[in-house]
Amino acid sequence: MKLWQKIFLYTMMLVMLAVGVTSILVLRSSFQLSMEQKRQSAYTEHEFLVSNFKSLLLSQRLRQNVLVLEQDQIAELMRSTFQEGNITSGLIFFNKRKQIVYEKGGFGEMSKEDQKKVKALLEIVADTGENYMQHQGDLLYILTKESLETNTYYFLTVTDISQVYGIHREMMRNVRTVCLVCAVAISVILLIVVKLLLRPLSRINQGTRAIARGDYRKRVPRKGRDELSELAYNMNRMAYAIEQNIHALEEVAEDRKKFIDNLSHEMKTPLTSILGFADLLQIQGRLSEEQRMEYAGIIKDEASRMRTLSGKLMELITVGEANIEWTREEMRQLFREMGMALCVVAESHGMRFSLECEKGYLWVDRELIKSLVYNLTDNAIKASKEGDPIAINGWFEEDSFFFSVADKGIGIPREEIEKITQAFYMVDKVRSRASGGAGLGLALCVEIAQIHQGNLSIESEIGVGTVITVRMKGGEEHEAV
Amino acid sequence: MIRILIVEDDANIAKLIEATVAIGGYEGVVCNNGADGFQKMENEEFDLVLLDVMLPDMSGFEIMRSRTSTTPVIFITAKQELTDKVRGLRLGAEDYIVKPFEAMELLARIEVILRRVSKTAVVYEYGDISVNVEEHTCRCKGKPVYLTPKEFEVLVFFLQHKDVAVSRDRLLSAVWGFEYEGETRTIDIHIQQLRKKLNLKEHLVTIPKLGYRLESL
Repeated sequence: MKLWQKIFLYTMMLVMLAVGVTSILVLRSSFQLSMEQKRQSAYTEHEFLVSNFKSLLLSQRLRQNVLVLEQDQIAELMRSTFQEGNITSGLIFFNKRKQIVYEKGGFGEMSKEDQKKVKALLEIVADTGENYMQHQGDLLYILTKESLETNTYYFLTVTDISQVYGIHREMMRNVRTVCLVCAVAISVILLIVVKLLLRPLSRINQGTRAIARGDYRKRVPRKGRDELSELAYNMNRMAYAIEQNIHALEEVAEDRKKFIDNLSHEMKTPLTSILGFADLLQIQGRLSEEQRMEYAGIIKDEASRMRTLSGKLMELITVGEANIEWTREEMRQLFREMGMALCVVAESHGMRFSLECEKGYLWVDRELIKSLVYNLTDNAIKASKEGDPIAINGWFEEDSFFFSVADKGIGIPREEIEKITQAFYMVDKVRSRASGGAGLGLALCVEIAQIHQGNLSIESEIGVGTVITVRMKGGEEHEAV
Repeated sequence: MIRILIVEDDANIAKLIEATVAIGGYEGVVCNNGADGFQKMENEEFDLVLLDVMLPDMSGFEIMRSRTSTTPVIFITAKQELTDKVRGLRLGAEDYIVKPFEAMELLARIEVILRRVSKTAVVYEYGDISVNVEEHTCRCKGKPVYLTPKEFEVLVFFLQHKDVAVSRDRLLSAVWGFEYEGETRTIDIHIQQLRKKLNLKEHLVTIPKLGYRLESL
């Protein structure tokens, strides 16, 4: 069952119960009150009749000048007294032997059951000598034991109390109608109120459904300051957090897919050549020595290209995972060591090499720093031609160590600078491959710089040269020191 | 002679494809980038284009979309995903070859396409043997020679791949179909029959552990 239905139903039930119980209680007490009044008045009338008759009896005795009136005479008096009188109800006189002396309203007209009742009543009154009042259906019986003219008589009046019941029934009917009307009115009002109160909830529900379907950009509308609005607010925060996470995951997945795509392309290109030319060597019958040498040469070149690629790839993959050995190194010392090796390489390509470095200590991994500097210098050498200078500078500034590798080579087009640190990105594929590049060097450099809490910045202009500056804060233990 | 345009940015692969199509007796014209390839496609007559998808300046898909010529195209690419394949074929390519590929596979696919547009030769001459593919007849020194249908197909396959070492497996899949589960002995029997009927003992040579080769005269 829906929440609004529950609230509606329970409230409705409670209200109807309260209204019903209250009206029934009120009705009952009012009924009892009027019943009591009716009985009172009936009894008063009964007593009035009896005492009236007694005084009449006295005056009759005086008039007839007898001592005691016989039963016949009393009956006669009764007839003459009550026949014409405007008495509301029936009355019956019984003598000592419970025989009817006089009746009006008719004992014979009574039903058998009522007669039996009256007889039983007579027995009780005769036995106990007390007055009795009893109602039977719409009738109220009042029976008293009186002694008239030395004899015992029983005096019964029957009063019609159907009017009280009628009023009671009428009121019951009214209450029922009122209750019904009330129920309808209350249910309408309740429905509107509940719906109004729960409207924000259905809006939130719609919003969350959209979010659940995967539309993480959707936000739940928010109004007011109640709990529902709070819920909406938290819902929105949740959606935002999910959106952020999903976005990050998607980016990672996208990067990975791109990486794999590029990798498979970079693997397949040399593989195609190797397989293809080997195939040609095998199946072609007539092959000149020249062709044979050419094909074999290509196979060798492409195989070595794959070797470079796999080597760099391994380096890139393991750089993040390998046990990094943090040591506190003196940078001038470290750079001079590297400089000696790099100088030989640069000069073998006919370039002028220079190295300057400030003294200072930094927590680094020796091998990674070497790999970083070698890769950057290698790039510089590849971009330069004979006679060009290549300069490495190292200095400390603020809390970081900086070093730059500068060349006066071909430079990088402005729009490519952002992309060149991506794995497998090559500005000039033909040139890169000719010089044995796999397009992974700078990606590796960025990785190493990040391990040392640093980054790479690249400034370059076509035909003027490139300066790559690395900023590093050093390793983990740097902070502990 | 049938001319095939090769658009491929990797110089070695371009050279490989050129050498492969040369085996089939076709002339290969190499273009190293998309723009040149597109120009050549538009301005010159070719019988077939072998188009690399990943080109640095203009992708093979782009070329395919903007071209106006109706020359049949086979895509050559390193991308193996089905969506790429479907995309390529939907753009109107005749076939799609994934790198790395074997030389014979490339040749076989080229032949299928050329046969479809009926650009392959109808009559093959080899010394005093003359074979007419359309009439399904073979003559030796002017006299008709009776060959079974399979023998005929084997002969035509060798005539199409002169000087190429053909493995038994390759021959099986080319003549009997890829699903054929027969023994390679079947091949040997057919070769023997051909040698006997057409007197090819010296020219249709056995290559140990590999297969056979029909040497050009």
